[in-house]
Amino acid sequence: MDKTTQTLIRYEWKSFIRNRFQLLMLAAAFVFGMYAIYYGQSEINGQRQTIEAVTALEQKEFFEYKASFREELTTLEAEQTHDIASRPAYAWYRHGYHAILPPHDYAPLAIGQRDLFRYYYRLTGMSLHYQLFENELANPVNLMAGNFDLSFVLIYLFPLLIIAFCYGLFSAERENGTLALLQIQSVSIRKIILVRLAFYFMMVTGLALLISSIGLLTSGNPLAEENRLPAAAWITGVAAYCAFWFGLMFLIVSFRKNSSFNAISAAGCWLVFLIVVPALLNVLVTTKFPLSSTTLAGLMRRTSLENENDEEEAREVVMEFLAHTPKLAGSDSLLNNNLLSKAYAAFTSLKDINSKEAVDRYMAQVIRRNKWGARFHWLSPAINMQNLQTKMAKTDLHTFLLFHKALANFHESITDFYFSRLFWDKPIRQEDYSNLPVFEMPEIQDRWDAIRIGLSKIMLMAVLAFGIGYVKMK
Amino acid sequence: MRQVLLIAQKEIKVALREKLVVSMGAVTLLLLGVALYAGYVSYQQQKEIITKTQTEKRKEWLNQGDKHPHIAAHYGTFVFKSKTVLSLFDFGLDAYTGTSVYLEAHYQHGFMFRPAQDHTSMIRFGELSAALVLQVLVPLLIIFLAFGAFTRERESGTLKLLMSQGISFRILTWGKIVAYGIILAVVLLPFVAGIFILSVSGIRQEVIPDVAFRALLLVLIYSVYLWLFISFSVWISLRSATGRNALLTLLACWMFFAVLMPKTVANLSESFYSLPSMREFRARIQEDKRNGLDGKTPRSVRMARLEKEYLEKYRVDSVQQLPFNFEGVSMQAGEEHGNKVYDHHLGKLRETFHRQNRLSSIASLFNPYLAVQHLSMALSGTDMHTFIHFEEEVEGYRRELVRKMNNDMAENSRYGEFYGYKAQSDLWQEIDDFTYQTPTAPVLLQLYHLEILSLLFWMMSVFVLLNYSNRKMKPLHG
Repeated sequence: MDKTTQTLIRYEWKSFIRNRFQLLMLAAAFVFGMYAIYYGQSEINGQRQTIEAVTALEQKEFFEYKASFREELTTLEAEQTHDIASRPAYAWYRHGYHAILPPHDYAPLAIGQRDLFRYYYRLTGMSLHYQLFENELANPVNLMAGNFDLSFVLIYLFPLLIIAFCYGLFSAERENGTLALLQIQSVSIRKIILVRLAFYFMMVTGLALLISSIGLLTSGNPLAEENRLPAAAWITGVAAYCAFWFGLMFLIVSFRKNSSFNAISAAGCWLVFLIVVPALLNVLVTTKFPLSSTTLAGLMRRTSLENENDEEEAREVVMEFLAHTPKLAGSDSLLNNNLLSKAYAAFTSLKDINSKEAVDRYMAQVIRRNKWGARFHWLSPAINMQNLQTKMAKTDLHTFLLFHKALANFHESITDFYFSRLFWDKPIRQEDYSNLPVFEMPEIQDRWDAIRIGLSKIMLMAVLAFGIGYVKMK
Repeated sequence: MRQVLLIAQKEIKVALREKLVVSMGAVTLLLLGVALYAGYVSYQQQKEIITKTQTEKRKEWLNQGDKHPHIAAHYGTFVFKSKTVLSLFDFGLDAYTGTSVYLEAHYQHGFMFRPAQDHTSMIRFGELSAALVLQVLVPLLIIFLAFGAFTRERESGTLKLLMSQGISFRILTWGKIVAYGIILAVVLLPFVAGIFILSVSGIRQEVIPDVAFRALLLVLIYSVYLWLFISFSVWISLRSATGRNALLTLLACWMFFAVLMPKTVANLSESFYSLPSMREFRARIQEDKRNGLDGKTPRSVRMARLEKEYLEKYRVDSVQQLPFNFEGVSMQAGEEHGNKVYDHHLGKLRETFHRQNRLSSIASLFNPYLAVQHLSMALSGTDMHTFIHFEEEVEGYRRELVRKMNNDMAENSRYGEFYGYKAQSDLWQEIDDFTYQTPTAPVLLQLYHLEILSLLFWMMSVFVLLNYSNRKMKPLHG
């Protein structure tokens, strides 16, 4: 660092600490950041508590089943419990398993779609789609208002801070009459502006990184295996996003217009990136790929055999189901035992088989419309950043789509477990309880590729804006 | 008055010379057009699908074949939330309220499928609607247009010249306000006309009974809102030493009103009044259905009581001797008990919603953006109160359906012969198709008195501020 740079920084520092208003803005940004972290954590902690409560309920349920094998069945109630525990004809639709999508440690920092989707389901062997579509309770007004999480503070508020600090970098000198004084110095104007820009970049980005670090440290251990990469990506992203806005401000300033022009252009850019482009894309996605959930609603209907006394009908249903299920081939020899239970099980499974196509088609359309939308993310670094942060925190749509897929697999393993016993007339034994179906959430495959590409797009735009400004400023 | 118009004329000329502002205005207009068009397309799409599916479901209900009424009550039917024609103007909560519901006996299903669930988190930036343009973008345009109203005169020294010609601050202020008002009116007029034609012409089976009246009210509140922004911007300009200061102050206000405050209030309300999880909510209902709201009267006790009551009333010894099927009666009693329990818990839940939303109603007293946002949604039929009204109508329909099924069972079937009796299509016909109409605007607006008060209050304050400053201002300080 040469002497002139040092001098420039020293004077910038002096004028910086004398400007009460600027200090106040930084302090306000810090307070907002802290509140956002607190809010995010309290939201996600609420979800964690719900998860604990449902897990406890499930453990209690299965503890009672297991206990019924060891205890003497003295009361009628105890006998009933043991029946549910040991006889597949009852167990298949009574035993409830929770499929849970626990929040990632960094979900509080970018709540994303987590307040909109369900993150826990209780599944039994009954028709999957009957159990899938109930929403979590939520106030639509607050859903629309969105979350005041750290992601919001960084994406919405920090650009404004940057605009407020930089819009007058050049023009204020002219308007205060100090420009002429600067021009007669041996240092070039461009260098002065660059040093000042760098100074504020350190200040604002430093603050953003400080707040982010506090968020990352208080929400989870950044060194833990599953947090290391997201934490690093978060920090990189924040720095890149700030760099983009500084680059953009440099570009605007390089036109050497007056302060009002700069402020209007900068506010206009903010508006375009944070409101106009995303709002436009959303409405285009909605109208270009219309989706109607009405097709799925019909799957909720609770239907049953036409007449439960009609054995012929029951037999037909079971045979139709067995034709779809090679795993159970041959079990038709035992058809007449427990016929009604089998028929009912077969009936709901057939329903799932028949509606699978409609659900898959719907989900494919959801993926298709959002893929189309994602093609335009580069138009706005803000959309890009938000998308990346929700990916890092696993609160994005894809995580939930994957969760849905995993639910279907889990449901299949539940029905496999019970139906193999129900249709082969085998009881559930005590030792079977150590082999119960377990929910597994697969890892998202190309998550890190997407994050890497997204981050490089933001960096590229930062470099681009800065480069044009640099040439223009000469 | 002539002077006011003269000033206005000059101001319009100056505004048209500002290339940056004119181009931003053009972009805003374009966006408004796109928003309305997209709103119209998605309204048409949804309406078509919903009408089609609703007809399908009706057919399924009518042609469900002969079966026991209680099985029919479980077979049930579906209701879909149709979009209101004014939702093409303001999408409101449409993306966040559920869209379809399954109606069956014993169980109140929640509304399923919030459209926002089919989007990535980008949807949280908001969707481009005409309301968004008018609430958020046009005020910003006004700021760009008006921040220099006085500071420009001051900075170029023309303010003193004007004063020396005997023009008062009052005339100058109103001249400028009129100028910006005229610019906006001319620019927005085609859209107002467009909305009117769309909302009034050729729309049958509309869920809003008083579309034209509501459209008129919408024009009114948006006029007030935009006038507020114009006057406020001119006032800030009057009070500011430099254009830069005026601009920054106005931008900060805009940011605070339109972005920061709405979100903060909503989030605070969530922290103050927390909601139970769906699981807890259902578990409590289940518990009370089993043991009664007092926790002491289980189903067996209630049924015994009911049986005794009927035996005494008809002076018979057993339920088999009753002139109707007691199972139908007990089924209906169970249904009503379930409804009572549900109403109790839903009431509590709604109370929490209400408290949460009340916070932002109160906040609207300090923020005209919130006031207009709420009123606009209400008039477009996309607000919370209309949704709750819809939910209630749907639940009323469900209850009526189940009651008719149970009554038929009581009247026509015999005790203990569940599969012996089958109702036919004439019973299904007795259930009318579900139709919905929103409450009328005056009824709805009663729930929004705080918001209306807020607009009146802001109008008055701005008047007072302008008058006060006009009297106190001394050109020499400028």
